[in-house]
Amino acid sequence: MTRFFLLLSAALLGCGRSPSSPPADVVLTDDAGYRTALTRPATRIVSLMPAATELLFALGVGDHVVGRTRWCDYPADAGRVVSVGDGIAPNVEAIAARKPDLVVAYRSASNAQAVGQLRDLGIPVIELGLDRLADLERSALLLARAVGQPALGDTLIARVRDEVRTATRAGAARRTVFVLTWRDPPITLGAGSFLTEIIHLAGAANLFDDSPQPSFVVSIEAVASRNPDLILVVGDDEPTFASRPEWQTVGAVRDRRFVRVNGSMFNRPSPRIGAAVRQLAAALDSSLAR
Amino acid sequence: MRLWLLAAVALMVAAVALSIGAVPMSLTDVGRGLADPSTRTGAIIWHLRMPRIALAFLVGGGLSVSGAALQALVRNPLAEPYLLGISGGAGLGAVAAIALGLSGLVAVPAAAFAGALASSAIVYWVAAVQGTRLEPRVLVLVGVVVSAFCGAITTALLTMSDAAMLRNAFLWLLGGFGTASWVSVAIFSGYAVLPLGFLFGANRTLDLLSLGDESAEALGVRTEGAKALVFVTTALLTAASVAVSGMIGFVGLVAPHVIRGWLGPLHRQLLPAVFVAGGALLVLADAVARTVLRPAELPIGAVTALIGVPLFTVLLRRTLA
Repeated sequence: MTRFFLLLSAALLGCGRSPSSPPADVVLTDDAGYRTALTRPATRIVSLMPAATELLFALGVGDHVVGRTRWCDYPADAGRVVSVGDGIAPNVEAIAARKPDLVVAYRSASNAQAVGQLRDLGIPVIELGLDRLADLERSALLLARAVGQPALGDTLIARVRDEVRTATRAGAARRTVFVLTWRDPPITLGAGSFLTEIIHLAGAANLFDDSPQPSFVVSIEAVASRNPDLILVVGDDEPTFASRPEWQTVGAVRDRRFVRVNGSMFNRPSPRIGAAVRQLAAALDSSLAR
Repeated sequence: MRLWLLAAVALMVAAVALSIGAVPMSLTDVGRGLADPSTRTGAIIWHLRMPRIALAFLVGGGLSVSGAALQALVRNPLAEPYLLGISGGAGLGAVAAIALGLSGLVAVPAAAFAGALASSAIVYWVAAVQGTRLEPRVLVLVGVVVSAFCGAITTALLTMSDAAMLRNAFLWLLGGFGTASWVSVAIFSGYAVLPLGFLFGANRTLDLLSLGDESAEALGVRTEGAKALVFVTTALLTAASVAVSGMIGFVGLVAPHVIRGWLGPLHRQLLPAVFVAGGALLVLADAVARTVLRPAELPIGAVTALIGVPLFTVLLRRTLA
């Protein structure tokens, strides 16, 4: 009896399917909860975020990117794409002139107006809240679906996870690292930042892990009192703050215990996170050896 | 007598400010730290909190004395040191330096200082037409207009820079003593001693200027020269304050008013008292700025504005009434 119904329903379904049905719409739900239906996969994308530009190139669909911000500096091929200027509060006309079939914007109140204007022009927009490692995978999957090749997203995620896994260090006694992103006023990073995640994966701890904000103006005396093991320096230059008298209260500054890393992969959530973790872990090792 | 009372209050404020901060310390800890600067607590007290308190006191005092002198000069109780185009120029200088990638600890203050001096020079040049009087109303008007112009260029520059830099530039402008050290205290006090000394010495002239040009001239003041000197001195003092601590509003407005209501309008008593009160006020504001969100800090300009804006509103309504 059951078998009869199964056969019957299979037959009915089979009859209902027409041989040349158009491909179903790609429906994308972005990080703002907004649903965008694309009639066909996107082939002309304007990326208003350096991190999204990197993701698109890493997915292997860099040739779909027809517009980028002036801050999109990775990979080198991205530099050949036409720039539309700023990514936050962008120039809507410059974007529209690229005739995109999809715009990828950072989810931010400063972008709300531009996103609305683009949608009024009939240009589909997805907003990404791409700030942390967890967001990276979600964004990769969404972008892969937008270009109609979801498998690329799975491949990229698997690759990134693999790279991160190999690079990750389990630190039993985690050394504390202090990050100074701006000198006057002194600004550091809290738990909500991507670099903090990189530090954790590399086997160390951010000195201000207990502060929920991504970044904030910090009291030097709090740094002195917490007494970090190391100072993380992004870039080649000898940090100029290190010779200032007020910073000599911090032991790691006085003793020049710096960990140096380099590259834009430390500044934004990117699929290069595995390389970032590897580089930082190696730098931490060599600082221990010294 | 009243000045001693004020000094005692200021000392108490400084003592409280010394014992609170981003790192909670008991009074015993503070005592031990004071006794031994080589410990970590001692280093925090001697090399972070003390210079910070000293610098906040000097800047607060300097801004307040500048405010009092300018109020006498333009005969308007609502004058403050930033009124005469200084804020706009300093902000423009700092933001231009940051936008050019000169985020250094020397370049930004130096650019702010240069910007403040340049814009106040323009204000003075526009307002002081040869052969006419330096009209207080014209001076204020030109100051506001030049500030607005500098503000427009600053906004344009900020729009062209990236988001993080924009936020940092704003934070710098809002002011703070987070990077104070004995070196910055020494530089600022070495610099401020001359303009402060001049203003304290000019107390008689300020008394007469606040009576108006005719009365002042009748009593023997060469008003145009005196006004020019007061203007230049306050501009130099304020520009230096901006360079070491960003733009801290309302101290120069609040302290002179509170003290004038208490001691009367004579500048010989007024100015020292205003210096001490303004200094104590800024030390207090800084203590609030560095403790309420610890280990994070509030920009001190936000704290002083929280106190200053309600007071300004009351003053304004009284003036209008």
